[in-house]
Amino acid sequence: MFIQYLAQIVNSGLALGSVYGLMAIGFALIFSSSRLINFAQGELLLIGGLTLQSLTLVLHLSPLAALTAAALFGFVLGHLLYATTLGVGIKASPLHQLMLTVAASLCWQGVAILAWGKNPIMLPQLLPLPPVRLGLLFLSRDTLTALVLAVASVVLLSLFLAHTRIGRAVRAVSMNPVAASLQGIRPGFCHALSFALAGILAAMAAMAIGPQTMLRYDMGLGLGLKGFVAATIGGYASVGRVFFGGVMLGLVEAALVLLLSGELKETVTYVLLIGLLVLAPGKREEARTA
Amino acid sequence: MSARPSRQARNVAGFFLALCAVGLFLPNYRLLVVNQHLFLAINVLALNFCLGLGGQISLAQGGLAGLGAYASVLAHAHFPQASAIIVPVTALAAFGLAAAVSRPMERLGEGFLAMATLGLSLIFTNLVLTMEPLTGGSAGMMVETRLILPWIGPLSGDRTFFFLFLGLLALGCWIFSALKNSRPGRALLACKDDPLAASSCGIDRPALRSLSFGLGGAFSAMAGMLHAHYGGFINPEQFSLELSLKALLFLVIGGPGNLLRPLLAVMVLETLMSGMQFLGEGRTLAHGLLLTAALLAGYRRTARPARNTVPASSVAEGHKPM
Repeated sequence: MFIQYLAQIVNSGLALGSVYGLMAIGFALIFSSSRLINFAQGELLLIGGLTLQSLTLVLHLSPLAALTAAALFGFVLGHLLYATTLGVGIKASPLHQLMLTVAASLCWQGVAILAWGKNPIMLPQLLPLPPVRLGLLFLSRDTLTALVLAVASVVLLSLFLAHTRIGRAVRAVSMNPVAASLQGIRPGFCHALSFALAGILAAMAAMAIGPQTMLRYDMGLGLGLKGFVAATIGGYASVGRVFFGGVMLGLVEAALVLLLSGELKETVTYVLLIGLLVLAPGKREEARTA
Repeated sequence: MSARPSRQARNVAGFFLALCAVGLFLPNYRLLVVNQHLFLAINVLALNFCLGLGGQISLAQGGLAGLGAYASVLAHAHFPQASAIIVPVTALAAFGLAAAVSRPMERLGEGFLAMATLGLSLIFTNLVLTMEPLTGGSAGMMVETRLILPWIGPLSGDRTFFFLFLGLLALGCWIFSALKNSRPGRALLACKDDPLAASSCGIDRPALRSLSFGLGGAFSAMAGMLHAHYGGFINPEQFSLELSLKALLFLVIGGPGNLLRPLLAVMVLETLMSGMQFLGEGRTLAHGLLLTAALLAGYRRTARPARNTVPASSVAEGHKPM
């Protein structure tokens, strides 16, 4: 009985944790490059997922085509978000920039309501992977898809940041924008790119979460917050650790759902967030995505 | 030094006179909407204590207003005649709680403090939902009792509550101005402009900031109490994150630290937004666009070089904004 519970916790925890991990990396990327906490991160997922859903109604998408389309939408949406928030207020106070992302989140919610209505919408499973049983461990189709999407994104992003010229430029800007610009790197380009990368990650997260829970116009803020909690657990310092923070959060939440009620789960999550923020404030000052 | 304060005092007096005229001449049913705007305006002013004076962002105003509302309603259910004790005690408790939670969070940067306080707001909402037998959960609870003032009696009616909201707003404005021009107020402004320099001058930053945060908490709680007894019904939705975010948005639009402009922003923009009902499903987008435009207009205004503004950030120039 206990083993069954544990297997259930691992299964649903990994499914949720992968999504949180992807959202967290998006948060960390933007925060590291521009010191901005992006309140509209969840809306990137929402609009990306809803657009993909509309596309599936018109076209029969192969898995590769779905992935390409999601990445492309994510990239464009990320750029659009940058252009309407940090891009217009690059010299504004951090508070103005923060609030611009809040207003953008409201605008995007409005677009979602106008275009897709207020009812939840199911995104079909676009990457049909078979369920897997590893001894006592059981990974459902949705969990495996979410995990594969997330791990592949993490690996690709890590390789991109570590081994490409542009990736190194993004890291340089996150470490020292002035020094980076003296080396001929345009910080604005790297900020935009970090938004676009966050957009791609959010679209991948949408593909992972769409078939698990439906997509609804007001889901963005909650998911974005979970991404922030996960990024805080991960410490903002490396893509892998931030992703691991997301997986940990997912597993803890899944365990709490089985042990406590849904509302208490939320309460414990936010108590955890505040505890982490208060107990380790010094570390993040120097934290950079590497 | 000579002309500015008097001009500001004149402007504030004009603002309150105009609102008094609104309260006297507007029909009762229209005051219902104005009272909602005033409730938000008090929360904006409460946030101004935290952010405008202490330089600390807060997204906990919704939670604190809700705390005041629920505490007052539950206390009145047991002691219906004790408004004169319950209201100040609840306000004091909210002051203490806000001051206590702000102390350990004092060192967090803007974004992290925003998230931590947002977490507080969400914890409040989830606790209300969890304690269903006591709070009614998501279905909310009816407020049967009225506020009773000694020698005046039970308070009811749109116009009465309009003037109660207005009185609370005026009290808040007076305390804000008095505090800003006092020694602790100047110390708070120093903490806001340069926390490190303020500390090195011997200012006890956490203690001072907990004062401003506590005052903000107390005013939000008092606004929540009035709101609860005015509406006759409370549920967690009324004190959700939306309230906190709106308060912060309007304060940023008007400019933190400025007394009148954020309040004007609330009254004008909220009136405009409530007039957008005819847009139906399109109104969320319209609200977002309006707020973006207002934020950009506020940014353009503050972009003009001024002595006290934080140097424009940052991101492009390599300064660390948070």
